[in-house]
Amino acid sequence: MTRYAVDLLLDEAAAARAGRAVAAPLTVRLAPGDALTLRGPNGSGKSSLLRAIAGVGGFSEGRAAIGGEADARGRARLTHYIGHRPGARGSLTARETLAFHRAVLGGEASIAAALERVGIAAEGDRPAGALSAGQLRRLALARLLVADRPVWLLDEPTAALDAAGAALVARMVAEHRADGGIAVVATHDAFEPEAAATATLLAA
Amino acid sequence: MSRALTVFSAVFMRELRLSLRQGGGGPAALAFFLAAAGLAPLGLGPEASVLRPAAPGVVWLAALLAVAAGLERLFQDDLEAGEMDLLAAADAPLELIAAAKAAAFHIATIGPIALAAAPVGLAYRMTDGAALVLAVGVAIGGLGLAFIGAAAAALTAGVRRGGVLIAVIAAPLAAPALVFGAASARLADQGADPAQPLLFLSAYALFAIAAGPIAAAAGLRLHMS
Repeated sequence: MTRYAVDLLLDEAAAARAGRAVAAPLTVRLAPGDALTLRGPNGSGKSSLLRAIAGVGGFSEGRAAIGGEADARGRARLTHYIGHRPGARGSLTARETLAFHRAVLGGEASIAAALERVGIAAEGDRPAGALSAGQLRRLALARLLVADRPVWLLDEPTAALDAAGAALVARMVAEHRADGGIAVVATHDAFEPEAAATATLLAA
Repeated sequence: MSRALTVFSAVFMRELRLSLRQGGGGPAALAFFLAAAGLAPLGLGPEASVLRPAAPGVVWLAALLAVAAGLERLFQDDLEAGEMDLLAAADAPLELIAAAKAAAFHIATIGPIALAAAPVGLAYRMTDGAALVLAVGVAIGGLGLAFIGAAAAALTAGVRRGGVLIAVIAAPLAAPALVFGAASARLADQGADPAQPLLFLSAYALFAIAAGPIAAAAGLRLHMS
């Protein structure tokens, strides 16, 4: 019995940035447990597509639906979006930041366990401003663990991470998919979820 | 509904924490207010006959400028940190999140200024009762300033050093607070009943609480799309 059972549908979807289409339309359907890797040069709209699916940005044409939910707010509630910005305020500690994210996202899982899992348990009481880029990235990844959301939208999740960190991302994504979750990953580097479909975006 | 309440209180408490911990929060706005109110007599002269009638206007203007300077970072820091994306995906409407931020700003930044307004009024030789009305007025009118200001702060969140811009955008919208706030303190100082301008001030605050978050959320969506 898997935890999640929703699918993700992109139907001729072209993400918009500042109201303009940035990538050619993409049509793809992901079943529970599937993954999609987005590749393409800088400016090809990978980040914009992730933001649009997450309901934060918008589409200039086409639509996205998660488990039949096509409304932006509805999609937002079913997704984790981890962008390239840290998602933490310098004067709050790692623990406070994660507790805030858990409250906002409506999760119930243990903060301590999540920090332990991403390897920054010892930094829990340090302000986020004192963490390294890699540690901040790990703190963002911990967000995935404290609230259950079926669709993970990850924008270059291994950026700033060491080899062990990249392996951690791969394991987390694999476990999420084994639970029936879906992962959409924008990446430049060698990182790629196993047996993932790949979409190469071309600038519009 | 209870989910929305959880999100509201999480945002509210976090804002209070941030305001105390990082520079430019509540303590800085209070210092700005005290400096402005303390400097004005150097220009006006020390005579009670000049200071006392000027007190309501000076205190309200100082409070308004302190608030505008403090509002600058209400949304900007979270937009830059990517936190606004997360808040937009929260289990609560953006309007509610903007309201939580404005409410926390009122407690952390305007609260101390309102408390300080009473001793400042006394130092300007106002009567005890008038100084109290001044403080109450700043607390009530400040609620309006926080929520109207939040809308201006959301609109200018993409602009570096947007504090000046906030003051300019919010100036016409802040006029009622200045007019009725200063009028209530002046009436009280003359021994008259300040109830009427205080009621207008309350109406202004209620309007701001209703309209401010909607405008702020619309402004934030512009920056995020």
